[in-house]
Amino acid sequence: MEKNGKQKDMAEVAKQRSNVYGLLATIYHKEITKKLLKQIKHPKFLEVLSDQGVQLENDILQKPEDEMIEELAIEYTRLFLGPDRHISPHESVHHERDDGDWGQFWGKSTVEVKKFIETAGLEYKSEYTGLPDHISVELEFMQRTTERETQAWEEKDNDGALYCLKIEKKFIEEHLVPWLPLFCDKVIKDAELSFYREMAKLTKSFVELEKEEIDNYLSEAQKAAPPPRFDA
Amino acid sequence: MAGLNRRNFMKLGIASGALLAAGESIIPSALAGNVKLQMGGKDFNYKTGAERKAIPTACWSCVTRCAAMGFVEDGRLVKMESNPESIRTLGKMCSKGQSGSNDVYFPDRILYPMKRAGARGSGKWKRISWDAALTELAGRLKKLRDAGHPEKFMFHYGRMKASSSKLIKSVFLGTYGTKTIAGHTSICEGGKWTAQELTWGGHYDNWDFDKTKFVLNFGSNVLECHTNHVPVSQRLIKAQVDRGVRSVTFDVRLSNTAAKSDEWIPVKPGTDGAIVLAMCNVVMQNNLYDKSFFKFIRATEDVNASVDKKISVLKKHLSKYTPAWAEKISGVKASKIESLAREFAKTKPAVVINYRGSVAHYNGNDTERGCQMLAAITGNIDNPGGRCRGVGAGWKYPKGLKDKPKGKALKLTKGFPGTIAYPSHGVCQQVLPMIKDGKAGRPEIYMWYCYNPVYVNGDSQGNIDVLKDEKMIPFTVTSNIVYDESSKLADMILPDATYLERWDWEDMVDPNQIGEHYIRQTLVKPLGEARDLGDVVIELAEKMGMPLGVGSSKEEFVKKSHEMTAKAVKGFPGFDYMKKHGVWHDPSAKPKYYSHKKEIKDLGGAILDEATGVYWKGKAGKDYTTAKGSAKKYVGQKIGDKVYRSFPPDKLSKSGYLELYSGLLKLKGYPALPTYVPIPAHEKMKSNELILTTYKVAVHIHSRSSHRKWLSEIYHDNPGWINPKTAADRGIKDGDKIKVKSSIGEIVTKARVTEKIVPGIIAISMSVGREESGRYGSGKKSPLAHDNDPDLKNKFWDTYGMHPNWIIPNSDDPINGQQAWMDTVVKVTKA
Repeated sequence: MEKNGKQKDMAEVAKQRSNVYGLLATIYHKEITKKLLKQIKHPKFLEVLSDQGVQLENDILQKPEDEMIEELAIEYTRLFLGPDRHISPHESVHHERDDGDWGQFWGKSTVEVKKFIETAGLEYKSEYTGLPDHISVELEFMQRTTERETQAWEEKDNDGALYCLKIEKKFIEEHLVPWLPLFCDKVIKDAELSFYREMAKLTKSFVELEKEEIDNYLSEAQKAAPPPRFDA
Repeated sequence: MAGLNRRNFMKLGIASGALLAAGESIIPSALAGNVKLQMGGKDFNYKTGAERKAIPTACWSCVTRCAAMGFVEDGRLVKMESNPESIRTLGKMCSKGQSGSNDVYFPDRILYPMKRAGARGSGKWKRISWDAALTELAGRLKKLRDAGHPEKFMFHYGRMKASSSKLIKSVFLGTYGTKTIAGHTSICEGGKWTAQELTWGGHYDNWDFDKTKFVLNFGSNVLECHTNHVPVSQRLIKAQVDRGVRSVTFDVRLSNTAAKSDEWIPVKPGTDGAIVLAMCNVVMQNNLYDKSFFKFIRATEDVNASVDKKISVLKKHLSKYTPAWAEKISGVKASKIESLAREFAKTKPAVVINYRGSVAHYNGNDTERGCQMLAAITGNIDNPGGRCRGVGAGWKYPKGLKDKPKGKALKLTKGFPGTIAYPSHGVCQQVLPMIKDGKAGRPEIYMWYCYNPVYVNGDSQGNIDVLKDEKMIPFTVTSNIVYDESSKLADMILPDATYLERWDWEDMVDPNQIGEHYIRQTLVKPLGEARDLGDVVIELAEKMGMPLGVGSSKEEFVKKSHEMTAKAVKGFPGFDYMKKHGVWHDPSAKPKYYSHKKEIKDLGGAILDEATGVYWKGKAGKDYTTAKGSAKKYVGQKIGDKVYRSFPPDKLSKSGYLELYSGLLKLKGYPALPTYVPIPAHEKMKSNELILTTYKVAVHIHSRSSHRKWLSEIYHDNPGWINPKTAADRGIKDGDKIKVKSSIGEIVTKARVTEKIVPGIIAISMSVGREESGRYGSGKKSPLAHDNDPDLKNKFWDTYGMHPNWIIPNSDDPINGQQAWMDTVVKVTKA
């Protein structure tokens, strides 16, 4: 009974992690839509954000939405797309590798991310034209893996869930941690509107939380799914 | 930031979830497909989409016994693959392993107990019940035992390993009381093992291809067949391809291993030993040896000799073996021998490898000792990248009753009296000739298992004559899946379970030098009335009123073994884990190298044997070398003022040095240092005679797999390979029928004229050429066979080859009893 309770808890944690990854993937994917902005501005959501320390300022909250959308699109382009100096949201640009192979598109990290994702059984859709290590792809990958983990816990497939957690740990440690906090710092510094600054702060602290907690999740999972014992 | 922690992030998650759910599926999606939970382990029928269950188990096609995975759909085994979790196989499997399901479902399989209905060998059978079969067998066995002659029950096995061996041999036969037990190692690799027991103590040399920089090969076809085939062959290829490791192969035939080497060096059969000794000579005279290893070498009678003394003794002994001398014997250019010796000594680490091609000869013992010497003097022993002592997995197991009888034996298993110096792995090929001879007595019941005595020894006709004769052996019984040339001569056939229908724990050597525990589990219920002999002996014992006390089935025996092992080995997983994963190794284990360097600080009361320098737990005043069972009492070797674990003895009571100088061989009147002895039969050859050698092909298992349709479809004919020059001298063209005649008989086969074989030889594979084994292997339907295999209609071949063992006499290496497969002198003419 207790074991089932633990499985339920683990499913809940995985589910909420998946949701946060989903939200962040959405935010960085492209210019924000009016609909999403509206949802974010919903008082209930703002309250939750504020609990996390995310403080959207009046520039976002008080301007008319049409105008705001336009400004956010300009900010998105300026920050992440260019043409001037911008903060390219790709791992290979920011992930400072010991072998020196970083700072450009399609570097070694790009190849590694692509291989990692494909080894896990996913593939890049043919209609996706971006680079394999775009921030929103990496976040989506985590969203999908934690979603799969949730499903495994719900199906009482403890080994499957453990397997997902191992993939997550590897991806967090090998890919998210080495570049996302650095990237977020740059965004926090360069952002003119509170929206992207605050979202970058949220992203950074979430990745840091993930880094801290992933081993705990793993050991809790192992307790929920103890290695089977032989009984005569 | 005020802080995201586990509690408030959950709120964010819930809110994000709500937000995303309310949106228009706004999570961006660059990725298609699903996260897959395991690599492999699941499979689907490509037609119906039905899922197949993947069950880890272990192969048994060859003795390598790779961890494997069977896929079962609706209770039928549909496919064999490797187990991706195995550190030995790294998820790879050969064609033999993949054809495993053929073993279960071939239409000529023996599925019911049968008793002969006419004269022995007449081919008339009647089906009987298991109860009738075991009641009769138990009655016969009990009668012998009650009369005080359990030794008159002879048990002869081909392959029986790990838990099967422990249950059947140690427990069942041990409780019964017969020691008339023979294996088949001497027709396989026994000579190599004995020679290793004489040098570094144990057997199985693991070749550390992962770390080596140079491979020097004498007659091993490691890419096509090997005692640890897929684990080591893939590592050799990897070394060659990934790291450009150079390999050089000496062989009489361009095997696929030779073909994939940087150099193939053709050599006259049975002369590898001369080349090896000449190489050792080059290394020594040019001071290219590794002086540091000499501490552990014994090179003289005096076990306290200094390193300099050992070096000078070896230099002196080897000085006659010059490359020019070896060239005359082997046909290999002296300059090549010289340059390869230098390359081998200077490339660190390098590994010298060899197998039956160089060892299954009259003089094979010292070829093996020569290879050990080359490895030792260059410091390539038990080192990363060298020739290492094999590491397997250790299992505990229930041993049954404590007070087993002492056991009696007929002296049939170690060769004719006085002919073999150290038959430490028996002399399989002389068992039937010795029964015929009769001087050592004859068994009343002869039972064989995973063994085809007629065909796998030399002189097939001689074997038939003995086995068929009811006066020589009153009762014959076998447990088998195939109706073969020998089961044909049984009085009773018990339908064995295939390896895919039974339980075992397994322990074969791990090329990582770590050791991997793995199990074999039943994939499907045994077909028909087939039963694992492990289960059968438990019932047989019950019927004799002789309970074994190890559980009621092999499965229980394996589970109990697991339980005992799990208690003894730290971190050992539960049985459910083993069933689910099939394999386990200690993730914190480090590869075992240099174990000879371990110093023994606590001698635990061991005494010193002055003659050998061995500390042992024997009685004062007893001679370690000649005292019975002394090898088991070995503690350490005194070297200088220290005692080392060094190279402990196994079956033979050698000293703890790596013995290049063998005190034991000296004792029996053989040269103590590795020496080249020409093969007598080859010395006497006439100019029109050839040497017959045999070989295995990659897609068959010894001579025992021709019933597997997928393998026989690929390879079902074995023409004799001869060189164009040899052929032209005899007016033979490719494809011609030829007669091959030896001192004991004659066969007619076909010629394959090819440059891939050296002149003066004919090479005939022993993989096919069966008289029985069902329709795929011999064209003959077996008794009680069925026809419900649709592939019977698709079978396109009607040639089955010609087996060479009809004309190969049984002849032994006089030191170790190895069957000298590669020495037969023949005349070849156009038929």
